[in-house]
Amino acid sequence: MFAITPNILSNFMISLSRYVILLSLVLISVSIFLIIFLENDYYQGISFKIMFIHVPTAWLSLAIFLVMGISSIVGLIFKSPTAFTVSRSLSPIGLIMSIIVLVTGSIWGNLTWGAYWVWDARLTSMLILAFIYLGHILLLYSFEHFQKADFAASILAIIGLVNLPIVKFSVDWWTTLHQESSVLRIGGPSMTNDYLITLLVSFFGIFTLAIFWFSNIFYIIVEKRKIERSKLLND
Amino acid sequence: MRIIKLNNQIKKRFIFLLIIFVCFSASIFLISYSLKDQIAYFVEPTDLKSMDGIENKYLRVGGLVKKDSLKFLDGNWIFEVIDQNQNSVNVVFSKTLPNLVEENKGIIVEGKFIDNIFIAEIVLAKHDENYMPQSAIERLKEEGKWRGN
Repeated sequence: MFAITPNILSNFMISLSRYVILLSLVLISVSIFLIIFLENDYYQGISFKIMFIHVPTAWLSLAIFLVMGISSIVGLIFKSPTAFTVSRSLSPIGLIMSIIVLVTGSIWGNLTWGAYWVWDARLTSMLILAFIYLGHILLLYSFEHFQKADFAASILAIIGLVNLPIVKFSVDWWTTLHQESSVLRIGGPSMTNDYLITLLVSFFGIFTLAIFWFSNIFYIIVEKRKIERSKLLND
Repeated sequence: MRIIKLNNQIKKRFIFLLIIFVCFSASIFLISYSLKDQIAYFVEPTDLKSMDGIENKYLRVGGLVKKDSLKFLDGNWIFEVIDQNQNSVNVVFSKTLPNLVEENKGIIVEGKFIDNIFIAEIVLAKHDENYMPQSAIERLKEEGKWRGN
């Protein structure tokens, strides 16, 4: 982590990004094809198909925050600019993912439960996660020097890590309207294999899209700093 | 095994972050532990037995719709909400039910007890985490493994 400067990581990611976006487009097309031709659920009918966007983005919004938190810890302890830049470029992606989760979730909720929104533990903790992402971005842009912004935002990311197990296990710890986990649970997935494969394909499609997006944001941040530095040197 | 000597500064920062994290998670744990009854979205009919003064109190009760209990009488839906311990609550609901309310399926009713009958104002269907196509159910039924209705 220490030998890898932001520059090296940025060049590496951007050189791979054309293959990543190609893979992502293939996976997403395959998953759309699979979703269209998949048999409906016996109980929820066609409305359960929104799961193939809702669940991958939900996993990603949690996973992105985990990576953000870990890289914030690494950044704060080892003063690593790469780790800070990783967490800086991840938070907009995480915010978009959590907004997609909330929107698709409330559409699904209205079709099945009969309510767009309820204040149960899962929904509320997910909303808090989205607000922590938003706060992280706001903190990043409310300082003149990016080092100070990185410090403040990293503390928020580390505090926000406490929310992750709450989001994940809220459905097990308290009674909720939201159903329990179907895939990452004790006793194996509670869906048939054709659904599970479709879910994994669409997950990897959105995952690779997020990686592509991440490498672009990372590249832009690094290049912007290079320009600013050369301006300072020229003055 | 070689023990890596940590730089003093790094050690200090690590302890600082650890203290922040531990304090914050402890406070969140204490808050959610003491509020666990409020965080719970609904109670089951069994929990109602040990609760006092439930008459006229706004509550959410969750469970399954009892088999053969869902009826439409005089413009009201009447059904029983039953839990795993076979305790049940009689519910009256005067509006339109969500599409997914079926017998033997999950439900959450929101309202008040009046004379031991639960007058629901909001009814929500609660689906579980199992997803399968109709063809898989036919296959399970042929094998005799299907436990639904």
